[in-house]
Amino acid sequence: MSLFLGALTIGLILSLLALGVYMSFRVFKFPDITAEGSVTFGAAVSAVLLVQGMDPGISLLAAFAAGAVAGAVTGILHTKCKINELLAGILVMTALYSVNLHVMGKSNIPLVDAKSTSTVAEKIGAWIFGQTTDLNWFGWEVSIRDAGMLISMFAVVAAAAFILLMFFQTNLGTAIRATGDNPQMIRALGVDVDIMMILGLAISNGLIALAGALLAQYQGFADVQMGIGMMVWGLASVIIGEALVGSNKQGLVVTGTVIGSVLFRLLVAIALRWGLNPNDLKLITALFVFAALVGPTIGRSFMNKRGNQPSGRTV
Amino acid sequence: MLEITNISKTFHPGSVNEVFALQNVSVTLNDGDFLIIIGTNGSGKSTLLNAVAGSFITDSGKISLSGHDITKWPEHKRASLIGRVFQNPFSGTAPTMTIAENLSLAAKRGKPRGFNWALDKQLQSELRDRIRTLNMGLEDRLGNAIGSLSGGQRQALTLLMASWLKPDLLLLDEHTAALDPKSADQVIRLTKEIIERDRLTTLMVTHSMQQAVHLGNRIIMMHKGQIIHDYKGSTRQGVRSEDLLHRFEEVRRREQVDVRVAELLQRMYV
Repeated sequence: MSLFLGALTIGLILSLLALGVYMSFRVFKFPDITAEGSVTFGAAVSAVLLVQGMDPGISLLAAFAAGAVAGAVTGILHTKCKINELLAGILVMTALYSVNLHVMGKSNIPLVDAKSTSTVAEKIGAWIFGQTTDLNWFGWEVSIRDAGMLISMFAVVAAAAFILLMFFQTNLGTAIRATGDNPQMIRALGVDVDIMMILGLAISNGLIALAGALLAQYQGFADVQMGIGMMVWGLASVIIGEALVGSNKQGLVVTGTVIGSVLFRLLVAIALRWGLNPNDLKLITALFVFAALVGPTIGRSFMNKRGNQPSGRTV
Repeated sequence: MLEITNISKTFHPGSVNEVFALQNVSVTLNDGDFLIIIGTNGSGKSTLLNAVAGSFITDSGKISLSGHDITKWPEHKRASLIGRVFQNPFSGTAPTMTIAENLSLAAKRGKPRGFNWALDKQLQSELRDRIRTLNMGLEDRLGNAIGSLSGGQRQALTLLMASWLKPDLLLLDEHTAALDPKSADQVIRLTKEIIERDRLTTLMVTHSMQQAVHLGNRIIMMHKGQIIHDYKGSTRQGVRSEDLLHRFEEVRRREQVDVRVAELLQRMYV
């Protein structure tokens, strides 16, 4: 049961990462690999602040801000310095590795003793259930900390997704979406597309860094290696989410992305339980995204050969 | 008022692909003027339009619009004064966004965009009324993605968007060239209506001699980056499409002679 709860909680935390990837990869069609650096950056910044006794909420805000700066730098490299999008992301990701080591001062910061979000979540859990001992859910023993964390993360993710969706309906948000959809058009309507892209990537990486910070606080340590493979992970969640909702409506896709992230984490937990070698995890994730990217194309050419109308969406 | 003074633009200068796209072009438009630009392919007519829109900064010369010197302004800044419709129906709208959202983007042309709702109640009712004037039945489909519309519908919407806030200058870049004849007629009729209603100062590029003759109060003909003919005032009155075609034929023949002479000279001397 705690395995299941853990998978759910991590899935929820990583759905913030998935929302960030959705923003860069789907809204802007920008394969932003900065994500791998910002996850760790967010974790590092919040961990250092927590160790110094800072409030967990402030540490999360600081993590978001740190990620936003990283995203903005990638945006500036791409728009103002005309560097290819992938290369701009790789440059910032590589630079962030050293930055993260400097921020943390070492390659791993334990957070077991620090007052963190999970400490707060434990209090929330105790307040909700009115007890501090373990809960009994359908005959399973559940620690109050796990239950509190799950509920808190659900609230955080729901709030983030809601705010993001509302933002997309504002004048600024629609301008950002139009920038990804048709830059020529929105430029002709008086919008500086460079600024929109920088701003959008800042928000995207802010969310990703927030996911990193929450992940570090949940698992009890920040590690300089924790960002590896995160972009593909987020991408997998987005793709699963889109397949689930089968629609282009933004509200549905964003909700689907959150569900996709949780589902993907659960699938991975089950696979690990069944004896999947953890070392193969990234390989399998990459293969999954590969299949999702290529699948529709192969399917379409197969359908065309049989004389049918093309169907399926391009990824 | 639009004043274009001696602007020039060379693409790929110093390379084998060097193109003198605009050479010392000067045009002045008074408020309410509707200028049609015609010319052969590669004559520089679209380049002239793009120079005004700010798609690139000219090498020399000056452009001023409504008292502002916009020569060095970036495209998005010029958009506060200029409404624009592109040749490609896909260029003027954001395909995954709804009709209403696209129009709301246009309702903020050149204005700061903040955290207010893009589609407030007032704008929504205004949208419906103004879309109804298109007579395309789109007022009931405001929530549909623009990507599901036909080229003609998109161009009509783009036109509506470009003129939503009355622009100081309207730029039309062969905006019916990619449409079927029926939609093209419809869009032209709408163009005429909007321009006459709002008395918009307009620059329109077209391939159609018929459009050139029936619209606007002035025609300029371009060739190799220069204005070779300017029909205005009383000369504009009597112009028929045959006259324009005749002019084109003349230009073409002169060109052919040049090539033939060059070949002749080559054979004789090389």
